[in-house]
Formats: sequence, structure tokens, C-alpha cells
Amino acid sequence: MRLWREFHGLNVNATAGATARDYFSLFQLEPDFSVDEAALERAYHSLLSQFHPDRYAGKAQFEQRVAAQFCADINSGYRVLSDAVLRAEYLLTRAGVDLVKAEREGVGAAFLMTQIMLRERLEEMPPSDGQAREALTEEIRGYYQTSCGEFAAAVGDAAWSEAARHWQEMCFLSKLLDDARPRGY
Amino acid sequence: MVLLQIAEPGATAEVHGDRQIGVGIDLGTTNSLIAHFDGTDLRVLEDESGQASLPSVVYYGAKGTVVGTAAETYSSSEPTNTIASAKRMLGRSRAEFEDDPYVALAEGEGLAFNTDAGSKTPVEVSSAILNELKLRAEPQLTGPIAGAVITVPAYFDDAQRQATRQAAELAGVKVLRLLNEPTAAAVAYGLDEHAEESSLLAVYDLGGGTFDISLLRMRAGLFEVLATGGDSALGGDDFDRALATYLMEQVALDAPNPVQRRVLLSLARQAKEALSEAESVSVDVSVLSARSEEIMVSRSTLDGLLAPFIERTLAACRMTLEDAGVETVDRVVLVGGSTRTPAVRQAVAKCFDLEPLCSLDPDQVVAMGAARQADVLVGNRQGDEALLLDVIPLSLGLETYGGLVERIIDRNSTIPVARAQEFTTARDGQTGLVVNVVQGERERVEDCRSLARFELTGIPPMVAGAARIEVTFRVDADGILEVSAVEQQTGARSDIVVKPAFGLDEGQITEMLKAGYEYASEDMLARKIGEARVEAEALLAGLQAALAADGDLLSAEETTELQRDMTALETVMEQNEPDEIRAATEVLGRASEVFAARRMDRSIQAALQGVALTDLESAEAEENTP
Repeated sequence: MRLWREFHGLNVNATAGATARDYFSLFQLEPDFSVDEAALERAYHSLLSQFHPDRYAGKAQFEQRVAAQFCADINSGYRVLSDAVLRAEYLLTRAGVDLVKAEREGVGAAFLMTQIMLRERLEEMPPSDGQAREALTEEIRGYYQTSCGEFAAAVGDAAWSEAARHWQEMCFLSKLLDDARPRGY
Repeated sequence: MVLLQIAEPGATAEVHGDRQIGVGIDLGTTNSLIAHFDGTDLRVLEDESGQASLPSVVYYGAKGTVVGTAAETYSSSEPTNTIASAKRMLGRSRAEFEDDPYVALAEGEGLAFNTDAGSKTPVEVSSAILNELKLRAEPQLTGPIAGAVITVPAYFDDAQRQATRQAAELAGVKVLRLLNEPTAAAVAYGLDEHAEESSLLAVYDLGGGTFDISLLRMRAGLFEVLATGGDSALGGDDFDRALATYLMEQVALDAPNPVQRRVLLSLARQAKEALSEAESVSVDVSVLSARSEEIMVSRSTLDGLLAPFIERTLAACRMTLEDAGVETVDRVVLVGGSTRTPAVRQAVAKCFDLEPLCSLDPDQVVAMGAARQADVLVGNRQGDEALLLDVIPLSLGLETYGGLVERIIDRNSTIPVARAQEFTTARDGQTGLVVNVVQGERERVEDCRSLARFELTGIPPMVAGAARIEVTFRVDADGILEVSAVEQQTGARSDIVVKPAFGLDEGQITEMLKAGYEYASEDMLARKIGEARVEAEALLAGLQAALAADGDLLSAEETTELQRDMTALETVMEQNEPDEIRAATEVLGRASEVFAARRMDRSIQAALQGVALTDLESAEAEENTP
């Protein structure tokens, strides 16, 4: 009966199960890669302060449940829109881009080489060499920002398969940035 | 889903005739308190002898069930019948305490204490404490308690929160919200009222046996826990032991017997407390030594003895600041009796370069904050209060192939939160799978805690990889998890509210409620009917109001259908069948989902217009500011 052994995880889509509610219109923002962070924050607070379950603590259980579900939507939306990589992914999904297919197509040999080269340099770097680490982090951030800019431009031109490629670059690079962050003290 | 009662932005909420009564409860490891805020006065409710703190000790023996100071008197004569510090074991598993010499476990699989009155779980012990607090409070209040805010440590996981809720349910206490202790302390100081500008707050909580440090961020009416840290085996008891050892050396006592040890500890505690006021005290140790003798202890001697312990708390503070990526904070709040020690206050002030807030009694501040929040949540005030947002302390995920953890919700996610992930089958013709829900930060299942295990069956036989199983995790505002799994093509589904394996199931709770102190004299049926009717009436009233306001959102056909279900519920309500009333309520609730969703969208538009307006105003204000 140990069926769970057969249970094979396949992460199809990080935003699967999200409700049909459009996050951009929920937060009253233009559906675009560049987002006015202050406006997002303001809309988030305004929505939460009206729909948080605490505002329904004395009400019927049904109402509390709806409030909790809605609030979970608000939190998910905020999480997605406030993070550049997730926001990019959301824009692609929203435009009907097949992310699984895009991932199969990959990022292209040139970027792959850059990415491997950066990772090798990071792995060979002694953790104690803070200065070199910082310099490399800056370099990766430069690549990351370039990809972000290219993604935004591709979205502007509705060039979705190109946008999907830049989104994958962003995924790689943000992961790399995370790994490069000094830690351990 | 059902209707939300949504107030127009800026409109005042409906005013109830009577003021509802909410209480705040600090369910502590060593002591517990109950407090009430009546709108003007915030006070901790004392017992008949003027004691505010109720020792978290319960005695189960020949004398019946006794709670508090009276129970403590049995701790040396009947140690196994006298349960202290049950909070440490709330929501934990038996395996974690199997080797603990201080705990007498009952036979069986679960975690329970063996007493002369039978086996008692930590949930039952906690519920006895909550019940005692409730009995203490009721005569001092002007009406029945509508609900309680109960505080829990910020690091309490899902299982521990569940167990706390169960204890409340068992004691007949309606929980409005489980609130993190540090957040409650900040609320007690009214810091939420000044949360317009963004600021950082540290809550330093040094109790008898535990130390907790929490970092909170307040901004624009929101209150968030950013990071927590601490040491679960460090506190004022260590101070007492250090001073007791010092006294022992002074009287040249090498091997004290248990009685002498007890005397030493109590002398040490008295001296420590006196030294919070005085620069030096003389300790009469004549009971310990043949020579009649007094030993002078100065504050600086004590400070020297305490320094290593205090340094450990500061190290934890620095680590937590680093965790949160923060260098300085704007305020520090002191919680816990051990922060009365001057050396602690000075060290904290130096560490944070700030004068800590300590004007409220550090033993009572958590209960007081909970009471203030309870007053908000029972509906006495509405609209403009700060929201107290919580995050989940540990990541939640499930077991996948090869014993690996697939994380679904990351730690520090703001709650409530819901997230779904799709999975598929690995084998041709696979018709079921077991979902193992785990909690923790590690990659491998064996390093995480398993919260629940349930089975999804009825998947039609397909080739491997063809089934699409969506697993959804939902965490509510209290941090309690619900998991569901649905096979997308057939709709085969399985839901579970994650009840920890070491908690109690619904049936056990019902049994205990029947046998319990709370309902001994009450007619269970009458109570159940009453509760079911209240719920049904609330739903009907809400729907009628909603139909009057937003009836245009439904087609004539939809309206007729909804009204049919409403009539059905009204008919069932006449009868004395609580289960049927509940069932009809559920049916009507589900039926009104669509209406609820449409109303929600309409109100979002309204709310956002409110935002736009605010933006406009602030933009104008900026323009007008030179």
C-alpha cells in the first residue's frame, strides 16, 4: 500500500490553481512588466484592510471562509506581482504562452555558455573572498537586468516566444544571484 | 462560498446595540492570564485572592481536578498527578518525550500523562487551564464571553496551533484568533496605532524557562512578524540556579540533598528579585549550615553570575537581526518576568542602542494586547484598526518520489494563503496515491515533520503521466492548514483539515465535550440546535440584505433558485434537528457562491475606486507641499 513511493512530482505550473481573477486588474495596474511598486503596495494594503478575515471575525463561518479565500487570492497576487520573475511568468501565462513547450525549446547555446561560465566561477570562488564574491554578484546582476530589459521589450512587441526565452534567462540568473549571496554567519 | 457583508468604503459599520465581550488569554508555559478591555479600561482579571497569574499546573487525583496555585501544592507529594508545563508538549509527538525523565507517559500510542484520574493529553491539561481562566473571568464581566484571542509563540507550528485551538474548543471558549505573543505585546503598547510610518520593532521575551526574540515590521496599518529566534532552554530559572550554586559555594555545601536544593533555589530567587530594587541584600542561610550565617550578595555579584546567560540572549538577538537582514530597530519591547532584572534591561538597551519599553508589567503585557485585539475582533470597533498579519513559521510541502519534499508554501508567506501544484502518476494504471503532508525546511522527508497522511482514490486507470492531480494547500489566518487533492479529469477528490496525528479527532472531542465540565449541566442537544440556528439565521439575514442591495447581479432564474433554498432552510429550522439545519445551511451557502463572487467583484471595484481617490488626495497633498 505504499503508493506514495510511486507518486512522482511534476511541477507543471507554479500558478496552477490560481483563480480566474486577473491580478493586474485586482490591483488596478496596467498589465505590463514594469509595475508601479508604490501603487501595488497601496492597493494591496487597501484590499487587505477591507477583506482580511479579522474583519469578519464575528460574522458567520461562511463569510469568514470566503474572506479567507479571497484574502489568499490577494496575497498570491501580491506575491506574484511584486516579484519580477513571477510577474514575468504570469504575463506569459496570461498571454497563453505554453511554458512547458518554451522550457523544452530552451534558452539558446550562447546564454547557456554564459550561465555555465558564471556558475563555475561562483563554485570555484572561496566563500571567504567577500570582495570577489561581491564583484561577481554585481556582474550577474548586470546580466539579470539586461534579461529583464529584453523581456520587457519583447512583451511590448508581443514577441512572446522571445519573451519566454528571456524569462528563462531571468529564472537562471535570479537563482544564481540567490546562490551567490554571502551567507553562513 | 457565501455572501460577504461588505461595508461601503468609508461608511460606518452597522452598530450593535450591546457591547460584545472579548477576552485575551495568555496561555503560558509557567503561568497563564486572562485580560479584558471594555473600551476604556484594559485590565488583567485577578482571582479572589488578588492573584493575576494562574500557575499553568493541573492536578488530577483523588481530590478531583485542581488548577493553579492549589494544584502546585501537590507537586512534591503526588508528582505524577501534577502536570506542569504542558504547553511544551502541545502538538508534539510521543517519540519526542519518550526519554524525558520528568514526564510519566501513559500507555498507548498518543502523547498523554499517566495520572490517577486516567491518562490526560496536553490538550486536556491546557483546556483545564483555559476553563479555569474562563470561570475566573465570567463573574467579573457584564455578560457572556463572545470570544477570546489566545496567544501562541510566533514559532508555533501548525500542529501546535491546532492543539491550542482544540484545547479552547474543549473548554467551550470560542477562538476569535490565535495571535502571536510578540505581536500581542506590541499591541498592548498601542504601537499598532502609530503604524502609519514604517518602523521596526524587536520584542525581547525572557521568561522562566524560555527566551524568544521576534522582529516585527509595522507599516501603513499592517503588522508583520519578520523573523523569530531564541533559545527554548534559557530563562530566569537559569539565573536562580546560578545564584543558588554561588550560595552553595559560600556556605561550603558540597552535595545538597533535594530539600536543601529546593531551599537554595528559593533563597536565590528571593535574593534575585530583591536585587532588582536594592544594591545589595543579605541572605539568611542558617537553615543550610550549622553556623548561623548571613551572606551579602551585591548586585554586581549577581550581574557577574548572570552575564553569560544574558550574553546568550544577545547572541540570539544579533542572529535574528541578521536573519531578517536588519541592522537597527526603532523600538524594543520587554516581555517576561526575567526582564525585571536590571542587568537584562541594561544589556538590551546597550545591544539595541535604545531605551526599551517596559512601562507595562512584563508578565501581563501579552494578555493585555490579546484583550485589546479581542475587543476589535468581537466587532466593537471596526474599520480603521491596524491589521495584524501573520506569516507561517515553517514551509509546507508534500512527499514525492524517493522521499523528497516538494515545497508548496514557503516559510514566511503571509497568511491566509492558498497554493496549488499539479502532480501526476508514475505508473501505468495507478488508481490511488497517498499524500504525505510535511512541514520543515529540509530536502528529505525524514528530516521534516509529517503532519498528516491521506489517500486519494478513484483515479481511473491511465498511462503513467496522464492523470492530472491538483493538490491545494490552504492556510487560514490562524496558521491552520487544509489540504485537498483533486484528479482534474474525473473530479475524484479528497479533503483533509490537517489534524495532527497526536491531536484529537472530532469524535474524541465530542466525547470529551459530553463528559466535560463545561457541558455537565447543559443540554447538549439544545446547545447544538441553538448554535445551528444562529449560523442559519446569520446566513439568511445576510442573503436577504444582499438580495436587497445587489439583487440585480442575479438573473430572475438564479434568484428563484436561491429563494427556493432559502425557504428550504427556513423550513428545516423549525425542526429540532441540528445536523439537518447544518446540512441545509451548507447547501444554501454553496448555492450562493456565484452571487457572493459577483458581489465581491463589485465591492472590489468600489474599494479600488476608494484607493484611486486616496491616491488622488495624496498626490494633491504632495503637490500642495512646497
